[in-house]
Amino acid sequence: MDSHDEEFEQYLGEFDPRRPRALPAAVGSRRVWPQRLAAAAAITIAMGTSLWMFHGKSSNERNSSAANSNAAADSTTTGRRMSLAALTQMALHDPAQLDAELAEASRRMLPDFRRSDSTLRVLAKE
Amino acid sequence: MGEHRLGAEEVRGLYDGHGPALVAYASTFVTDRAAAEDVVHQVFLRLLSKEVVIPDMPVAYVYRAVRNAALNARRSGWRDAPLDPENCVFEHRGGNREAALALQKALAELPEEQREAVIMRMWSGLTLEEVAAVSGVPLNTAASRYRYALEKLRGKLQPYRRK
Repeated sequence: MDSHDEEFEQYLGEFDPRRPRALPAAVGSRRVWPQRLAAAAAITIAMGTSLWMFHGKSSNERNSSAANSNAAADSTTTGRRMSLAALTQMALHDPAQLDAELAEASRRMLPDFRRSDSTLRVLAKE
Repeated sequence: MGEHRLGAEEVRGLYDGHGPALVAYASTFVTDRAAAEDVVHQVFLRLLSKEVVIPDMPVAYVYRAVRNAALNARRSGWRDAPLDPENCVFEHRGGNREAALALQKALAELPEEQREAVIMRMWSGLTLEEVAAVSGVPLNTAASRYRYALEKLRGKLQPYRRK
């Protein structure tokens, strides 16, 4: 660095770059709150959806159980339910066994009219 | 060599110390002063949001980041504005607006490494050793770049010094 350079440096020192506008004050919080809002919205939507699905499922179950009480009763013995093909085979080869199966199934599926408070007995008395 | 995220106070300190020089630097890539400010803001807002992990020398990082952002802005078609007194990033303490404009123009015409060296040394207040470290070059190289830059600027600003 010679004296010319130093002199010129002094001259350059007479120039100042203008100050730019200030940085925004609350950049951090401004960037955080949309994330929090999005997270809250996602949680609300997830909870709302699961509640709605749970509610819809339980009301469907109530309706179907009321309408299909016999089917519900049958569903407890699903293991014993036989396919149409098996029943056909049984009718061809072992009619006695078919009769026994149908009698068993009717006891499970049809209302019991032998109980003293059964609907049929009550109606018969009237 | 560690990397870390800067706290808000550190970022604001960096902006106060180097913001004006960085805008001058950016304005040698994008001639519109507002665009140069936007470029610098973009870099510092990212720092404030703590998205960025920066190396040991934050000054080196911000110079590199401003350069890249300014080049991106240029590539994405940021229009050049005419270099007029309103658009000038420098002010002359004696009020010589022509000289201020001439300085900005002369800086933009320097080779990039010389321009960087002179802006860092003169308006970011870095020593030549720091300029060398920030630029990743030996001290002699940084000193040569700086000297060549002064020589060229002196030639171009000579007419204004006589006024």
